Amino acid sequence: MSEALVRSDPIPAQAFLAADVSITAAAPMSRFSLRARHASDLEGVIGAKIPDKIGIMLDGVACLGPDEWLAFAPDGAAMPDAAGLSVSVTDVSDRSVGIILEGARAIEVLATGCPLDLDHFAVGRATRTIYETVEIVIVREAMDRFHIEVWRSFAPWLWTALTTAASE
Amino acid sequence: MTGYRLPTGGRIDRATPFKVRFDGRSYPAFAGDSLASALLANGVRLFGRSFKYHRPRGIVGSGSEEPNALISVTRGSGRFTPNLRATNVEVYPGFEAESQNRWPSLRYDFGAINDRLGMFFPAGFYNKTFMWPRSFWEKLYEPAIRRMAGLGKPPTEEDPDHYSATYAHCDVLIIGAGPAGIDAALEAASSNQRVILIDEQDEAGGGALADPALWPWLARSMKALAGMANVTILTRTTAFGYFHDNFIGAVERLTDHLADIGSGPREKLWRIRAGEVVLAQGAIERPLVFDGNDTPGVMLASAAKVFALRYGVAVGRSVALMASHDSGWQEVFAMARAGVGISAIIDVRDEVDADLRAQAHDLGIDVRLGQSVIGVRGRHGVTAIEIARNDGGASSTLGCDAVLMAGGWTPTVHLWSHSKGTLAWRDDLGAFVPDVAAEKARCVGACAGLWNFGQGLTIDALSTPKDKARIKAFVDFQNDVTAKDIRLAVREGFRSIEHIKRYTTNGMATDQGKTSNLNGLQIASAALSRPVTDIGLTTFRPPYTPQTFGALAGHAKGPLFQPTRKTNIDGWADENGAVFELVAQWRRARYFPKAGEDMLAAVNRECRMVRSSVGIFDASTLGKIEVVGPDAAEFLNRMYTNPWKALEPGRCRYGLLLKEDGFITDDGVSARLAPDRFHLTTTTGGAARVLNMMEDYLQTEWPDLNVWLTSTTEQYAVIALQGPNARKVLEPLVEGIDLSAEAFPHMAIREGLICGIPTRLFRVSFTGELGFEINVPSAYGRALWERIMAEGARYDITPYGTEAMHVLRAEKGFIIVGQDTDGTVTPFDAGLDWAVGKKKPDFVGKRSLARPDLVASGRKQLVGLLTEDPNYVLEEGAQIVADPNQSVPMKMIGHVTSSYWSETLGRSIALALVADGHHKMGQDVFIPMPGKTHVATISSTIFYDAEGARLNV
Repeated sequence: MSEALVRSDPIPAQAFLAADVSITAAAPMSRFSLRARHASDLEGVIGAKIPDKIGIMLDGVACLGPDEWLAFAPDGAAMPDAAGLSVSVTDVSDRSVGIILEGARAIEVLATGCPLDLDHFAVGRATRTIYETVEIVIVREAMDRFHIEVWRSFAPWLWTALTTAASE
Repeated sequence: MTGYRLPTGGRIDRATPFKVRFDGRSYPAFAGDSLASALLANGVRLFGRSFKYHRPRGIVGSGSEEPNALISVTRGSGRFTPNLRATNVEVYPGFEAESQNRWPSLRYDFGAINDRLGMFFPAGFYNKTFMWPRSFWEKLYEPAIRRMAGLGKPPTEEDPDHYSATYAHCDVLIIGAGPAGIDAALEAASSNQRVILIDEQDEAGGGALADPALWPWLARSMKALAGMANVTILTRTTAFGYFHDNFIGAVERLTDHLADIGSGPREKLWRIRAGEVVLAQGAIERPLVFDGNDTPGVMLASAAKVFALRYGVAVGRSVALMASHDSGWQEVFAMARAGVGISAIIDVRDEVDADLRAQAHDLGIDVRLGQSVIGVRGRHGVTAIEIARNDGGASSTLGCDAVLMAGGWTPTVHLWSHSKGTLAWRDDLGAFVPDVAAEKARCVGACAGLWNFGQGLTIDALSTPKDKARIKAFVDFQNDVTAKDIRLAVREGFRSIEHIKRYTTNGMATDQGKTSNLNGLQIASAALSRPVTDIGLTTFRPPYTPQTFGALAGHAKGPLFQPTRKTNIDGWADENGAVFELVAQWRRARYFPKAGEDMLAAVNRECRMVRSSVGIFDASTLGKIEVVGPDAAEFLNRMYTNPWKALEPGRCRYGLLLKEDGFITDDGVSARLAPDRFHLTTTTGGAARVLNMMEDYLQTEWPDLNVWLTSTTEQYAVIALQGPNARKVLEPLVEGIDLSAEAFPHMAIREGLICGIPTRLFRVSFTGELGFEINVPSAYGRALWERIMAEGARYDITPYGTEAMHVLRAEKGFIIVGQDTDGTVTPFDAGLDWAVGKKKPDFVGKRSLARPDLVASGRKQLVGLLTEDPNYVLEEGAQIVADPNQSVPMKMIGHVTSSYWSETLGRSIALALVADGHHKMGQDVFIPMPGKTHVATISSTIFYDAEGARLNV
């Protein structure tokens, strides 16, 4: 067998730097969409506490809806086996790419297209929202640091939109 | 005094003089001037020509209410902005503007003939005159009217500017930074709330800018606000619309006032969500209605005061005031003290406050009570006015070069009305004021009717001894509506102000009747002898003032207009010369031309290679949904027309999806990976729609099912490998999957590794050839594609695009939903009876399939068409008739849905929907086209390898 296949990603590997803000592609990671009627149904599968309040992120698992969670894990992590259980675990590692928006102007840049009141979006929270017409998931990792998840084919557009806003 | 500039005063920066150009002439100006103040300072009174009569017009107001002085600003290629109000335009060194709606020049305008013919242009003139013949409207009447009656010309070049946009949130949004707005901001800010204060002018202050006594307070207050971290002050920002849930749209003008616009955005759209909205928009003075009130030099008293005290400009050397309200007296007193020559005050009232009369006396101003202006002399500018006593008697003439109108005040309730707040009529003010709020909002200051302007008399029009049918007393300056027009509308039977407005066009110009609505209402009220409250007020709608398309679009321009979705393999296609097409938001390779090939040649070659060796195709855009849970099979069984419960893990099935109405809405091949896990595919364009539809059923119809849907469209890159050599190309790359025909039959799925990467490998075919669809995590799509290309080189592996894919599938009679179906096609119409589970108790759309219309004969059914001339390719969409000799219009029995040159068959093929087509096999039909009627024979939809021998190898 010849050499291993290489990944290709839709946004630049090099960070975009502007005054008081940087925009960077997140490293590849594993992502799993978790679905169940109750958070407790998943705890045995994941082997960890699952947040049961929408908008909360706990140990890499974000509760996005009444029956929906998004779990982040290190790249290459195996998909939890839930065969036969009354839950759904789906590998969506490559469905989206992550963009890190960081700096004193992070909120200002994100607010150019995201209608949420980000002043009231506390550190540690996660939610599905939009940037203009594009669906995103945002996680506030620190006061001035957001992790943005966007479906792969929309990522170049979002990258251009964020870097344009950051340059203004 | 130089020109009309006062020797001192105003907020202009006299230390920064420069030149501006208007209609090619150069004029001196100061920093801080508006175009209006700069030109007035130079004695310019003529600013434009009116919309309909081309009458000479000058400045009426001092801000957004200005109806007349619409000008076009030009600042280089593509940067041409028409219809700006000269009163709102800040000037800078090198500023250049031109007047509008005149030819050949502003002073000598050919269109002014309309004014002489005015009696032939009554209200509703266009509606009455250009009715017949109907065919003349588009070609003759409309273009001619548009040329004559008009505003500025639209720009002809692409706008080189870019625009910004943002969302913003605050606890208190204050719109209007006059004294009331500033007080509200100071109060809100002191409680540490997030405050946004916006104002449309270049500096905060509103009315205080024309009141030097308030300047120290203004400076103090704005300094305090500017120093607070919780306060955002936006000047040059117009709140243009008030939408649901305290959502306000505002546009900030960033560069229009700068001599050097730099490289930043021109304007910024602010989308503000506010906890509370405080409207402090002030009030607009009302003009008075009298003969000749549109002559240049006739303007609002409040505007004249702004020019004098804010800009240091006298609007005339001998200024007369025509008042029905005390406020005008106060304005001219302030102007007189600033050095403006005030010659007379004429007031319609017989009695006026003694203190005002005393002040006028002290200032040496001639006062005439109980009188009205009945005429204005001068065409391009006032030279004199005629005055008469209201109770009759002889008229007199008074020389003057400006006439100020003080007709009372109209609270600016536009945004309040956008928010659906109600209005209440106040007789004492003669105006509507805000009443009950519909949002968390309140009005403060003059826009709430809270003002200290003194008393006034509300009248519809000044009394005159002249024949009211022969005078031109304007109500709506911008749309050229006179009092006579409104009275005519009433005589012709219009009773509601909404109808009167549309018939006369009063208040329908770009200023939305800021100065005309209330006067129009008073005149209609008088003509109908009914109170104003019975006639109602027209509705204000966004935008408050016209906004640029650029600002509303924000960033959504050029590459950011909308996302173009690209697959992981798109870059390879781009580098290898693909011609692309858009499918939904996706960009897909349509064909891969080699040097010298046109589309047909490329597609023919691609088809030949798939049928004879192997082709490779990027199918990544196919919609994918992972259906997981114990009830997954049950769920699919209810959604799709065919049975799913018995499908074994490792096998695939074609699924046909109907809507409740029984018509086909999507299709795709899906695989069962495990008892509780399916991998569905949908059409490219249907991905989001199908997921939504399935979620809808799951959440509303069958919430008891334990099954969940996850979109995996973007998780996988999909490479279709099709052709007799497909297996040979694949074999060396795959680990852990036995590719032999026995172990891995058609319509099966296996999981394993390809080039070391996990894959879901489908054995499926949309070409009729031996085929595989390789799903790998998206990021590996391109690398795998290149590896397969290298491996397939010995078989001349050929990349093919969507066009060849269409031809290959048509040769096999595979439908494309949305092309061969149009939302009115049932599975039976499409010849897909085999995909409908006859024994299934239910599925979405099953009941509808039994509706009488869906089982009646004569339905359009999908058939093949073979043209008599094998070299002729029918037009898709061409209509089909049974008898070519019938008279026109012919009875159409169907249409061509797909049509191609089939390289495989060496002839053209087509699919068509034809009435009763399934029962017309072998019959000829006719396709009349310009110049020739084509004959075609109805055939099966399967043109190639009907027995499927090529698939099962």
